[in-house]
Amino acid sequence: MKLVRPLALIAAVLLAWELTARSGLWNPLLFPSLVKIGYELGRFLVHPERLMEAWVSLYRALGGFALAAAVGLLLGMLMGRSARIAALLDPLFSGTYAVPKLALFPIFIFVFGIGSLSKVALVFLECLYPIIIVTYHGARDVNRVLLWSAQNMGASRAAILRRVVIPATAPFIFAGYRVALPVALIVVVITEMISSADGLGYLVIYALSSLKTDRMLAVVIVISALGLALDRALVFLRNRLVYWDRLDTYYV
Amino acid sequence: MSDTIAKAGTIILLLLLWQLAWMWGLPSYILSPLEIAKEFFAALGSSELYGHIGASLLRSLPGFLLGSASGIVLGLAAGVSRRFDETFSPVIFLTYPVPKIVMLPLFMLWFGIGDVSKILIIALACVYPTFINAYYGARVTPTILVWSGLNMGAGRWRIFRAIVVPNAAPLIFAGLRVSLALSFIVMFATEMINSRSGLGYLIQLAESSLRFDLMYVSLVTIAILGYAGDRLLRSARHRLLRWQEAAE
Repeated sequence: MKLVRPLALIAAVLLAWELTARSGLWNPLLFPSLVKIGYELGRFLVHPERLMEAWVSLYRALGGFALAAAVGLLLGMLMGRSARIAALLDPLFSGTYAVPKLALFPIFIFVFGIGSLSKVALVFLECLYPIIIVTYHGARDVNRVLLWSAQNMGASRAAILRRVVIPATAPFIFAGYRVALPVALIVVVITEMISSADGLGYLVIYALSSLKTDRMLAVVIVISALGLALDRALVFLRNRLVYWDRLDTYYV
Repeated sequence: MSDTIAKAGTIILLLLLWQLAWMWGLPSYILSPLEIAKEFFAALGSSELYGHIGASLLRSLPGFLLGSASGIVLGLAAGVSRRFDETFSPVIFLTYPVPKIVMLPLFMLWFGIGDVSKILIIALACVYPTFINAYYGARVTPTILVWSGLNMGAGRWRIFRAIVVPNAAPLIFAGLRVSLALSFIVMFATEMINSRSGLGYLIQLAESSLRFDLMYVSLVTIAILGYAGDRLLRSARHRLLRWQEAAE
């Protein structure tokens, strides 16, 4: 019942699109009919070599993200639990936070080559920041009363880390992951649009330069679906692992 | 003062290590910090760099202003109106994980390959963080404040202006900060994909002509612009939200 109104809005937008496409006022290149986009989408999904392009983009995004997830978790936790490490690393990360890391891409191409590695490295770097910053704040602000209670009851440092600090930080870690995952896909698509011979970003640019707008929009739909599916998968995983902390319903 | 030195310590140490590694022998595409500084100040003396900076800022700033203003207005509206919230917010949250940059080719067909399509794509990217933060900020307005306002005879508009907006302001600034960083990223991406001016174009040009000096100049410029923009926003926040910082 709650879905009726947003679905009506989406249906209205699609209808307006189709009417624009059929009105003949604009070149069909600018507004291809939904039928044609659907046809191209079907062709995309049955062609193994095009699905391979989606796989290439996906593994670049997930590879960089997984690296950043591991390193960011480690550094964020260390910074959160040790004031000395925080004093060492915090100026570095907060000072370069607002700098677009994408500008490093041309240099990464020289260092890591034009293939997947330079893209994975850039995804890693862009994803690292949100994960570190959110994990750092989460680990630093663990409720002191909980820590004191655990110490009083004779818990060792390892036990406190495992039973108190990590569970208390987990919601923050996943919040950072959730910011970083769409960033991973954005960076992959951008780098593939700038310089690549494969991947979904390349397909978008290729379809555009051959003026196949319907095909281009089909790829855009695939990228959007991928972004949505990755986000849903992460939320599913989060709710399984962090079952004690309900995700804020506004953000679901 | 000594605090600032301590903070800069890590960065200075890294630059020093970089300089040493370079003296030890690094590939020609990696310049030393001193060389980069020299090239950067040389480029500041010529007029070419300013043209590119101007072109870039004329794309990112209008896009940022347009996008974040619409994001704040729509977010606050969704935060206070249940009907608008139920219709509009699911669409925003559904399309949030979608990389907005993929719409650039379509925007280029619709609005031409010039600045309009770039500004609009930057604006689109900036809508999302500001929308979500303004929405959330307006939704978590304490009911007791609204009740007090109603009791004291404030109208709906007055409550919105005097209670909801100030309450959402800290989160709105957090959203603006994300949007500003995003506007620079998207600006840079659009210029690298298709442009004849701007810092993104300059770095592409430098790469294809193997002008490493120019590549680093453009990199340093964009880094300084990003950092300066963030600082400006933070000092604006500090001025406007002093009451809130004092309460913390």
